[in-house]
Amino acid sequence: MTTSVCGCEDNRQAVLSRRRLLAAGAGVAAGVAGATVDTGLAFAADPAYAGDVLVLISLRGGFDGLSAVVPAGDPAYYAARPAIGVPKAQLIGGDAFFGLNPGLAPLLPYWTGGKLAAVHAVGQPAPNRSHFSAMEELERAAPGTSLRTGWLNRMLGTVGSGDPFQAVAMGTAMPARVLGGPAPYVGVTAIDRMVLTGDQADRPIAATMTRLFEDAPTSLRGTAGQLTGGLRQVAKLRAQAYTPANGAVYPGSDLGNALRDVARLIKTNSGLLSATVDSGDWDMHENLGVAAPGKRMYDQLKAFATALAAFAADLGPDHLRRVTVITISEFGRRVAQNGSGGLDHGYGNAMFVLGGNVKGGKVYGRWPGLTEAQLRDGDLAVTTDYRAVIGEILRSRCGVADLNGVFPGVTAAGLGIVTAR
Amino acid sequence: MSISEQTLTRRGVMGGMAAAGAAAALATGAPAVAAAAAPAPAAFLPADPLLHLLRRATFGPGPSSIAEIRRLGAKAWLDRQLDPSSIADPVADGVLARLPLARLGIDEIRARVAAGTLKQYGWEPMWQLGYAALTRALWSERQLLEVMTDLWSNHLNVTCPSGDVWDSRTDYDTMIRKHALGKFSDLLKASARHPAMLTYLDNRYSTRAAPNENYGRELLELHTVGQGHTEADVKNAARLFTGLTVDRATGRYRYDAAEHATGAIRVLDFQHANTTATGGEAAALALLDHLALHPLTARRIVTRLCVRFVADEPPASLITTLVKVYLDNRSAIAPVLRALFGSAEFAASIGAKTRTPYEDLAATVRILGYGPATSGTKFLESLYGMARDAGQAPLAWGPPNGYPDVAAAWASPSGLLVRWNFHLSIAAGWWPETLVRPASLLTGTVGALPATYGALIEKTAVRLCGIAPTAKQIAALAEFYGKTPASPLKANDPAAGWMYPYLMGMLLNSPSFALR
Repeated sequence: MTTSVCGCEDNRQAVLSRRRLLAAGAGVAAGVAGATVDTGLAFAADPAYAGDVLVLISLRGGFDGLSAVVPAGDPAYYAARPAIGVPKAQLIGGDAFFGLNPGLAPLLPYWTGGKLAAVHAVGQPAPNRSHFSAMEELERAAPGTSLRTGWLNRMLGTVGSGDPFQAVAMGTAMPARVLGGPAPYVGVTAIDRMVLTGDQADRPIAATMTRLFEDAPTSLRGTAGQLTGGLRQVAKLRAQAYTPANGAVYPGSDLGNALRDVARLIKTNSGLLSATVDSGDWDMHENLGVAAPGKRMYDQLKAFATALAAFAADLGPDHLRRVTVITISEFGRRVAQNGSGGLDHGYGNAMFVLGGNVKGGKVYGRWPGLTEAQLRDGDLAVTTDYRAVIGEILRSRCGVADLNGVFPGVTAAGLGIVTAR
Repeated sequence: MSISEQTLTRRGVMGGMAAAGAAAALATGAPAVAAAAAPAPAAFLPADPLLHLLRRATFGPGPSSIAEIRRLGAKAWLDRQLDPSSIADPVADGVLARLPLARLGIDEIRARVAAGTLKQYGWEPMWQLGYAALTRALWSERQLLEVMTDLWSNHLNVTCPSGDVWDSRTDYDTMIRKHALGKFSDLLKASARHPAMLTYLDNRYSTRAAPNENYGRELLELHTVGQGHTEADVKNAARLFTGLTVDRATGRYRYDAAEHATGAIRVLDFQHANTTATGGEAAALALLDHLALHPLTARRIVTRLCVRFVADEPPASLITTLVKVYLDNRSAIAPVLRALFGSAEFAASIGAKTRTPYEDLAATVRILGYGPATSGTKFLESLYGMARDAGQAPLAWGPPNGYPDVAAAWASPSGLLVRWNFHLSIAAGWWPETLVRPASLLTGTVGALPATYGALIEKTAVRLCGIAPTAKQIAALAEFYGKTPASPLKANDPAAGWMYPYLMGMLLNSPSFALR
């Protein structure tokens, strides 16, 4: 059954009108744009979309790209971080100039296999060292405009299906900022937790609710129908105990659990265009530690890499071919370590791109250097707008022809980081 | 189109999606979805104007507030609500006494840190403030004050909890409460000089050499005039606010003349020579006074009030009326509220609002009439967690624009799932299990045992939703129990005992409870 919740001409038009709305600069914080026609079936691939599933991992708190993708060829890096610089001898992967933190070892096969790349010295157009407002700007991604929508929602407005399950904020029922706007999406805490309390064969709550909402105002009926339909679909998913493929073992972390559920949706061809997942606790103002087990940054990177490697293994080459994973963070960290063996808020950063069509095994971007004169107020400068990197992926892998509707005034980076479809 | 017709169209839904509170008049030309002949939302709610007022001006009707408004009538009830200090509040006060950190001022928090009884940078006061907000929404008798405090907390949002305002967020709440029913100009000036706002929007770091535009921008875009200002206005406002900062040693507000950027500024139609550094604070306050009484601000504030109390897309006629009341009363809010609740447009707006998750949670506990647990705060943590899981923990919105207040923003299937689950869980007393509730839920809800399943369903619905379900809905609910509406109800039937909470839960899930 592949009837869309909104699989009707009305909705196609509505998607168009949503685009007009975006152009008009309307914005709202979250959720599903109300009136939909209830067919009670929530999962449906949009036949018009032939792009990659875009998986966005937000590294919350300010990820230190310099600890992850280490500029070992830049002596200023070691000078600035006498206690927490990662020695050359410990680095893995990388190239003549950069090396990866050994905590990322679980991802090394994807690096050497050319499916994982990094871009360095990326960031927002202007420094912003407030977590909150930098995160806000990162996800709004339209500085200098009054847009209040999230960029991913604008992408859905461009290529989306209008089906709420086209985009899933996995791991949370909170409104997701980057998905904020009129295009519908769903927040799912966990597929296995998407359960209606007390609903069972001899107590058919969901079925009764469907009947209670039959004559309800359209907007209420639409959401209730999406929920009861979604519950049915998720119940089908749950009915088959999920076993990750290819021997993949997910860590029992929030990130691992969320990625496992994203993989489930991808593998069941549920019509997913995009998923967002959060990875928290990167705000290391103190005791970041050396690159060894038991130390903060190393352990965090290891946990992140273990979850992401499990996700890639679980998908396997066939599914990975239509998936691109991007990591973003609100800002990088100060180049020089502080008095507490940690790092304060900075600017330029590294991002990872993983996928079946990534030209991996290398670090993209122009390196600005780390001497005092090359820094931006003590921080790594930004030579590539993060939106230009995402924009390149949207254009090459997700069928977004006109970036302006997603990132106003931004040109795709042209790094050649992915193979065009 | 009437409001109720509008809400049936996609245009109505989409139009309401302008940033919460902003009056973005969008001519989208979106096609109206052919609404299946669904009755207007008003048909799902009782027509009683007193219940309408309670649904809008409070966090939801409860048995005692319904009795009270019937006794007093609308006008006297509203007069009393607009004078909150005249209202005794024993139930809420009893719970708030268990949350002593929620009221602490900046000096008090810092003194406790110095004395070693509170952790520096600790979040406990902010968590308690979140629980206190929830406590008052559920059990305070001063409901209009609570609704308005919530509205201003969103209009002048400072995320709670968030690390940077660890010592100032509770005091910020005290400040908002003080002005919630007063003048917007006073509230605006108090917020501009409050360490929580100065920190949250970075003005404390704004210097002569490097003005930080964050506050200046949001002041214009969100707090006051809305759209219609230029980048130059933002830059000028930011320059004028340099020097308004926070004393690092005490955490208190301080004006630092040495960091004030002098020189003539112009913001919209406000001009100031701004010649001396010592005069910078007065100049900044003059701008705030000017902005508070600006017609565009008047429009934004009354629109925000109308979106909260009337409809996602408020009638233009009402906005026009209220703008005049706001300006005539120099931004005093009580006269605006009186005019709003007394208007024909308000009376005609039954069913034009949908409960947000937080309103839903509060309305659930209030209509059930369940009391707070007799001791401890665990039950508050459970309820707060429910609000959070549904996407709307009180005061916790991150961006500066505050939680959205329109139905479209919350129409999320996963959010709805959380809500359906907490309806049943709270009603049944499964979680939190310590709320004070009747020994027999059926007797406590409808009194004597009704004769038939139909009567049980109808009586329970009238008690929880204020209106009987349609015949079709009654049949569906009877069928849940494997019965028809005419089936006799016996005292030992599961529907009158352990399965009765399912009926309560399903009615709380129904359209009649989802609408406000």
